[in-house]
Amino acid sequence: MSTDRLSVIFAALADPTRRAILARLAEGDATVSELAEPFTISLPAISRHLKVLEQAGLITRSRSAQWRSSSLQAEPLREATAWMERYRRFWDDNFARLDAHLKRIQEQEKQP
Amino acid sequence: MSDATTELVITRVFDAPRELVYRAFTDPDQLAAWFGPVGWSVPRDSVTVEPKVGGHQRFTMVNDEDPAQASPVDATFVEVIENELLVGEQDTAAIPGLGGAVMRLRVEFHDEPGGKTRLVVTQGPYQPEIAEMAREGWVSSFTKLDKMLG
Repeated sequence: MSTDRLSVIFAALADPTRRAILARLAEGDATVSELAEPFTISLPAISRHLKVLEQAGLITRSRSAQWRSSSLQAEPLREATAWMERYRRFWDDNFARLDAHLKRIQEQEKQP
Repeated sequence: MSDATTELVITRVFDAPRELVYRAFTDPDQLAAWFGPVGWSVPRDSVTVEPKVGGHQRFTMVNDEDPAQASPVDATFVEVIENELLVGEQDTAAIPGLGGAVMRLRVEFHDEPGGKTRLVVTQGPYQPEIAEMAREGWVSSFTKLDKMLG
């Protein structure tokens, strides 16, 4: 995945309302008004959030204008969370190689 | 300025004296021999290490299977205590998910009994949202979601 695409996903995830919307959609598809229920913000504001999430590929929205429901897309989320683990894995790998390297160096030093 | 919640901290004990572990980081021949994840190599001619304040730490990680995939590192040391501490800063404006334009990597070398060394690596800052998502349990809930969706 390109870094640009990851940036768009992280920007979309940066907002707590959008994360709450995603959490709601994890339970099942919902319409704009259903999504707006727990919040004190307007329907147009919710729609704007949905547009950001859609552009990031985190949700899809049905074509039907009247009952336009949103559903969660798991793949970009999986990629985003995999990214978070990347640095930790990087150091795990790196440390395993450093460990082997240090053993090698010390064995070389012991030899006459 | 540092905020523990937006930094990755990893500690590991190595069965080698502190000076040796420090040298593995600062000797270009040694760094080239071990640095990088499995499947990646660091060409010796890409490595520059000047362990002093204002000195550079440069090297490139190259993918073994696809050498077109290369990840250059260009950091500047901001703190150096021989055999004890290396702190480097790297301009990372282009890397997503990081909290600022500068990524700081702090490597502490501590004595452990039995001639061993405890290495403490601190890397960050990361974008606060990521730390927040971790706190909110997003990572685990996504894992559950993954299972649900197969």
